[in-house]
Amino acid sequence: MSAIEVAGLSRTFNTLRAVDNISFTVEAGEIFGFLGHNGAGKTTTIRMLTGQLRPTAGHARVAGCDVITEQRRLKPLIGVVSENQNLYERMSGRENLAFAARLYGTDNRRVDEALDQVGLLDRAKDNVRHYSNGMKQRLLIARALLHRPQIIFLDEPTSGLDPVVGRDIRRLVLELSRQGVTVFLTTHYMEEADQLCGRVAFISEGRIVALDTPDSLKVAHGQNCLEVRLSDGRSLTIPLDDQDAGEQLEKLVSSGQIRTLHSAEATLEEVFIQITGRRLSE
Amino acid sequence: MNSRVVAAIAWKDIVDAVRNRYLLVALLTPLFVAILLRVMLPGINNLNNLTIVVHDPGNSRLVSELSTSPQIKLVEADSAEGVAREVENSKAVGGLAIPTNFDADVAAGKQPELAIYINNKKSSIEQAMLRQLLEQQVLSLVKQPAPARLIWTDAAKEASAQTPVGLNLNQMLLPLLLLLTFTMTGALVVPLLLVEEKEKRTLDFLLTSPASLTEVIAGKALTGVVYSLLITGVLLAINYKLIRNWPLTFLTVLLGLLFVVAIGLFMGSLFQNTMQVNTWASLVLFVLLTPSFPSLRLPAILEKGLRLIPTHYFVEALKLSLAGTASARIWGQLAVVLACTVVAFFAATWGLRRQQN
Repeated sequence: MSAIEVAGLSRTFNTLRAVDNISFTVEAGEIFGFLGHNGAGKTTTIRMLTGQLRPTAGHARVAGCDVITEQRRLKPLIGVVSENQNLYERMSGRENLAFAARLYGTDNRRVDEALDQVGLLDRAKDNVRHYSNGMKQRLLIARALLHRPQIIFLDEPTSGLDPVVGRDIRRLVLELSRQGVTVFLTTHYMEEADQLCGRVAFISEGRIVALDTPDSLKVAHGQNCLEVRLSDGRSLTIPLDDQDAGEQLEKLVSSGQIRTLHSAEATLEEVFIQITGRRLSE
Repeated sequence: MNSRVVAAIAWKDIVDAVRNRYLLVALLTPLFVAILLRVMLPGINNLNNLTIVVHDPGNSRLVSELSTSPQIKLVEADSAEGVAREVENSKAVGGLAIPTNFDADVAAGKQPELAIYINNKKSSIEQAMLRQLLEQQVLSLVKQPAPARLIWTDAAKEASAQTPVGLNLNQMLLPLLLLLTFTMTGALVVPLLLVEEKEKRTLDFLLTSPASLTEVIAGKALTGVVYSLLITGVLLAINYKLIRNWPLTFLTVLLGLLFVVAIGLFMGSLFQNTMQVNTWASLVLFVLLTPSFPSLRLPAILEKGLRLIPTHYFVEALKLSLAGTASARIWGQLAVVLACTVVAFFAATWGLRRQQN
């Protein structure tokens, strides 16, 4: 059974079709990237999959539960890290998690375990308002993991964080996947998606326009080439799928002008631009 | 409904509200006002001149005591029957028909009847002042709990239409203080708690946790009820002498605070940020508090308008229960408050659900 099954899911706000007939599945333990520009429908999709928003059409099952009719069974099986740092700022880190533990009926001993897991145990007593953005983000992840969910939804988990914290969070995501937790990830960072995700879906204007492994997408939509730097300072790019690529390369080698030679495969960002016609940051 | 989840949300808010200085001030304001009024009340009693008609054939010490007070003007009536008539003619706030042997009977502990006529055309605060003054004066005659039985009569009405409800000034102010407590807690703190969850997006977290929307609302309502009960408990304890029917008063208070909390939840479901709540709450507070103002003597049309405000029925029920009157009227008034509470709770749930979808 797939961890997430989505079929013909749509959501309309008045006349705006925010999500338009999307279908996909996510397997258990997989890290699934859901990529799109602002307003593409990523958060609306997450809100529907986590029971916060009722779909206008279609249906979805998450952890084997229908997202409309089985919300009470679904909620203990999922964890959500929202793109907003929605923590109780007048409470300490420990109090935030203790409150979540009471809601989930989780043993209070898990609170310190979860804080330790994200490296916040030594700041557990501090008020959240005194936390840095990175600490808040780690606390959000600890809260989402507190009740040991089967599936975790991460909405832009590294957005606006410094590279070191971002790297720590990526490590944590990989560790979760190794432990069998399914990760549904939205991100603006294509490199992050490329590095973490087993498969990615591109969403644009509410529709899924591509869905595959990052490598397959790059092969199918990208242009692999060679980047050549010559001894006179000039640079050349030779697309490998050009018919005369071999001949060009042979000429350069025999001329002895090559200083450096690198293969350059298409990036996921380039594939995204090619498919959707716009940059992810737009 | 999961009681663990409701209790968790309520406990979080109860602790959190104390840490929020703004909410703390809102919660404690009714207590400050109550203390202030207790300090100010003797001063209020001295503000106005009261004209009182007396018929005192036995030259009672009560009248001589009253005559020493500079703010009281005494007008004599020639007979007991003439007191009511003279009250109207002289535009007095009330009148006394003192039996001939009143002082001797009081001294003997016989608890004689003292007929007091109230002029209902005077403001309710003047009437309440007269009640308070006479109760204090009679009690000061001898050191015993009830030296005389005071029979209050509306001077303008026939004997059969006499109302059993008689409240002194403190009893008149208690509904105002209680309603102030409910409105500050229910119609200000509760919507702020709910709106803050929206504003900070923590409501999204709650709704992805095992908490349902109904449980979130119930948790907020419980917080409002707990705080209202705590402060109400203090107010009732301070004023315990004024309450003649505790069970009925408690029931009335409970229904009243539930109603205002439900209004607060409805406001919280409508508004998106604290600024909106702060802007509108003062208006809502004023409207809800209006029926409890003790000195109101409004034109008939406005009196009718007050009946459109559900807290009017709470205030009337509370006056009856404070006076110890368990008449059929009170049950009708409590039924109105209960019905409005149910409607407001459903409206709050509907409002939030509509926004979430």
